[in-house]
Amino acid sequence: MNRVVVATRLGFREQARRPLLLLLLVGLPFFFITRAIAQTEQLPRSIGLPGGGEVLTNMRDIHGADMAAITVAFLAGLIGVFVMQSARQADRRLVVAGFRPREALAPRLLVLGAGAVLVVAVSVAVTGTSFAPNLWAPFILGNLLAGLIYAMLGALAGAALGKLGATYVVLFGAMLDLGIVQNPMFGTGEPPAWGAVLPGYGPGRVILDAAFSDHFHAWGALAISIGWTLGLAVAVLVLLERLVGVELDRTPRSRGGDTRTRASRGRTPRPR
Amino acid sequence: MTRTAAFAREQLRAPFTLALLVAVPVVFVTVSAGVLADFAVALGGSLAADAASTLSAGWAAAFIAGTLGFFQAASSRGADRRLALAGAGSTRVALSRVSASLALAVVAAGAGFAALVLRTDVAHPWHAAAAVLAFAVIYVAVGIVIGSLIASPLEGSLAVAFVFLLDVFSGPGMAEQAAPYSVSRKPADILIAAGLGQGSPGEEWLKLAAVVAAALAVSLAAFAWTARSRA
Repeated sequence: MNRVVVATRLGFREQARRPLLLLLLVGLPFFFITRAIAQTEQLPRSIGLPGGGEVLTNMRDIHGADMAAITVAFLAGLIGVFVMQSARQADRRLVVAGFRPREALAPRLLVLGAGAVLVVAVSVAVTGTSFAPNLWAPFILGNLLAGLIYAMLGALAGAALGKLGATYVVLFGAMLDLGIVQNPMFGTGEPPAWGAVLPGYGPGRVILDAAFSDHFHAWGALAISIGWTLGLAVAVLVLLERLVGVELDRTPRSRGGDTRTRASRGRTPRPR
Repeated sequence: MTRTAAFAREQLRAPFTLALLVAVPVVFVTVSAGVLADFAVALGGSLAADAASTLSAGWAAAFIAGTLGFFQAASSRGADRRLALAGAGSTRVALSRVSASLALAVVAAGAGFAALVLRTDVAHPWHAAAAVLAFAVIYVAVGIVIGSLIASPLEGSLAVAFVFLLDVFSGPGMAEQAAPYSVSRKPADILIAAGLGQGSPGEEWLKLAAVVAAALAVSLAAFAWTARSRA
């Protein structure tokens, strides 16, 4: 069997052995989203939509529209931090044992993507019990993009900052970005101009348009979201490939031009 | 070097951790203070703008401290078992771990409080400072209890987030009536009162002291028990 398939299967099996994780990934969105929406008052609120229009709605519906994205962002971000953290050492050993870095990373990225999809599925399903967006497909797509963006940001933060620092950055980052800056419950009802540089801007506008418009207008925001997703995917691949990779030591051992392989950051020689 | 200092240094080894301990509460208080009053009204609570600002400092300190306490307890299992086996004793190891977490949580709480004082004119700054510190101590205890029971970092940090969010949504100011299981209810009451320019009576301080002492006792017992059972 293809070794990538084997590693992927083992990666999923490793996650399936963690019942508490599954319980939290399902229970936390369920509790958090239903409670937040139910607790919010139906105070009238006018908000600006991406197509330039304005809609008069209420705080409960706005909270219904944005709670899923906030939950998805911080859960997917945490999955990104810890799936990649736990993968780094094991994957380096796989590479030393003969896997190519991309073959070792692909299963981890699949597990990461599956984690984000699970969180999105649960969050959107829970949201559906309390709030119905006008356009379901872009609403789900916006949440999925928010999840993927924050999952990859989590992976990068985990690699750069360690567990504690990455947890702070992901949780407070998601809370400030999608929870406050992009949240139409606050301020004028539209994100400030500088809010467009944050990763939650694109998905946030896509979700808002899908929630309250009859026709989808947020093509620009969708393009920004896809740009973030692809850019971060490249960054994650490059960074993690470097972290788990081994480099070829081109120093000839003998006149025959034999080459040796050594770990790029560690000191573990490749077994022969 | 004492064990406490060594444990604190262990957490700070990752790049930028100390900077984040200071920067995150400052940024959170600065950005969120302006919107928390609107949020409280939307949730059916009743918080004046200044009271909402003061509460943001407590929340920032709480979450930072809870995560810190969790990682102190969970990431040290193997090392602590060896320390206990080598003669340090599970109680002394537990005391050192809790003290190290508290020392770092004080840094985060201090940063959040400094941002609060710079942003808002707090009528009772010492009351607010004590309440923010109490938030941090209670959540260090919450983090240590969770870290003593759950070893995996992902599940543990999600559990800390779960307790924190439950507390935020059911605590004073955000809910019409604070739930009895809100762990930060007492410091939040004092913090909100300080933000509104009111002092808190002695009875409130005694209740706060009792909650903080109980939280610390439970966390010490949980950590020492799990360290002993591991040894």
